Amino acid sequence: MRVKKEDENSSKKNNPDDLESNFYYALSHEIRRKMLEIIGDNGFASFTTLKKQLKVSTGTIYHHLETLSQLIEQKLDKKYYLTDLGQHAYKYIKDNIETLRRNNFSSRDLKSPLIRTLMFLTPKPLIEQNNKKIQYYSITLSIGILILGVIFCEITKIFPFLLLFDNSIAIFPSSLINAFPIHGVFFIINFFIYFIIIEGACRLFYKQKNNSLLFLISFGTIFIPSIIYLIFHFLFIITQTIEIPQVQALDNILMIIFQAWSLWLLIYNLMIHKNLKIENALILSLLIHYGGFSIILIISL
Amino acid sequence: MIEKEKLKKFINFRIVGIIGSILLIISQFLSWFSGFTLLNIYSIYISFSLGESFLFLFPLISGIVCALGTILVFIKSEYKINAVIINFMGLGFFLLFIFEIVTKDSPYIGNAQIGFYFAIIGAILVFFDVLNILMQEKNNNKKV
Repeated sequence: MRVKKEDENSSKKNNPDDLESNFYYALSHEIRRKMLEIIGDNGFASFTTLKKQLKVSTGTIYHHLETLSQLIEQKLDKKYYLTDLGQHAYKYIKDNIETLRRNNFSSRDLKSPLIRTLMFLTPKPLIEQNNKKIQYYSITLSIGILILGVIFCEITKIFPFLLLFDNSIAIFPSSLINAFPIHGVFFIINFFIYFIIIEGACRLFYKQKNNSLLFLISFGTIFIPSIIYLIFHFLFIITQTIEIPQVQALDNILMIIFQAWSLWLLIYNLMIHKNLKIENALILSLLIHYGGFSIILIISL
Repeated sequence: MIEKEKLKKFINFRIVGIIGSILLIISQFLSWFSGFTLLNIYSIYISFSLGESFLFLFPLISGIVCALGTILVFIKSEYKINAVIINFMGLGFFLLFIFEIVTKDSPYIGNAQIGFYFAIIGAILVFFDVLNILMQEKNNNKKV
C-alpha cells in the first residue's frame, strides 16, 4: 500500500523531465540510497544481491528501481549499473553522509585557516581505512612509526611521555641506560600505554567499545608528528647546534607545534573510530594529556 | 536551584580565561626564586649563552598565546575549536617550562615565590576555561 502511495506521489510531484527534483526525490528514501550505495560500492549489482542486502520484498525493489530509472540502468548482462547521474548521486551520498552523521564542525570552524591546515595535514584515508588495502598500509605505517620511534629515541637519548619528549625523565640509573636501549623501549611502552588509556577512557566515559582494533591500527598516525620532531631534534644534535639558545628555543617550539598536530590527529581518530563529537574528543584528550602531566610532575616533586 | 544557576553563570563566565592569561603574563615579571623574576633569570642565562635561556620566556609566550585564544572565542564563539587548539599550544609552552623546572630544579620549588603561584593558578584557570568552552557548547547542542 505504502509503495503504491509513494508511486502515486512520485508521478504527481515529479515531472520526469525535471532532473533536479528527480535526483533529490531518488535520494529521499533510505532504501534507494542504500541501492545506490550497494551498486556504487561494487560497481554493479544483480537483483539477487540487492534483495539479499536490502532484505525487502521483490515488489519493493522493482518499485524503487523504477523510481531510480534515471540513476540506475540494467545492462545486457541483467546486472544493474549506475548512470552518470547515478554516479553523481553516489558520490553525493558518500561525500555528505559522514559529515551529516558526525556533524562535528560548525561551517565557520571548517572555513578557518587553522582547521583547514590541520585537515590538510591529516592522513584521512589511513585513519578512515575504507578498504582492506588501506588497512594494510595503515598497519605498515604504524609498525614503521614504532621502528622509527625506537631508533630516533635511542640515538637522541630522549624519553617520550605521551606526546612530549624530554631527556630529564631519567628515573633510571645511568648503568641501566647504557646497558639497555631504555629510550627505544620507552617509546613502545608509551605508544601502547597511551592507546590503552585513551581506549579505556572511551569505554569508561562514553561507552564506546567498538572499532578498538581499527583504532589501534591507525593509532600510529598520531605519532607521525612526533617522528618528524625527532628527526629535527636529531639534526640539531648531529649538527651540534642544540646548545645554541635560539636553536634550543626553536627545538622546543617545534615540539609544541608537532604536539598540537598530534593532538589533532588523536581527535580525528577518536571522531572516526569512536564516533565522538569533536568537543568530547577534545575534552578526553586534554584531560588525559594534562592529567598525565600532573601525575608525572607530582612524582617528580 | 537559584544558587546553582548563579554558580553556573559564574563558572561560565569567559573572563576566567582572560584572568588566567593575564596571571601567566604578569607572573613573568614577579619574583619566582630568591627574589629573581623570570626576566632576570633570562637576562643572566642569555648573557652566558646558555641553551635553556629562552625557556624562561615561555610563561610569557604561553600567557600571550592563551590570551589570543581566549579573545578569539570571546569575540566569535563559532571559533571555539580554533581557540581550544590555540590555548592548547599556549599551555604547551607553560607545561614544557614547568616540566623542565620541576624535573631539573625541584629543590628550589619549595622556596618558590609569588610568580610561581601566579603562573600555576593562571594555567589552571586557562585549562578550566578550555573545558568550559567545550562543555558549554556540548550543553548548547544537547548532544553527548
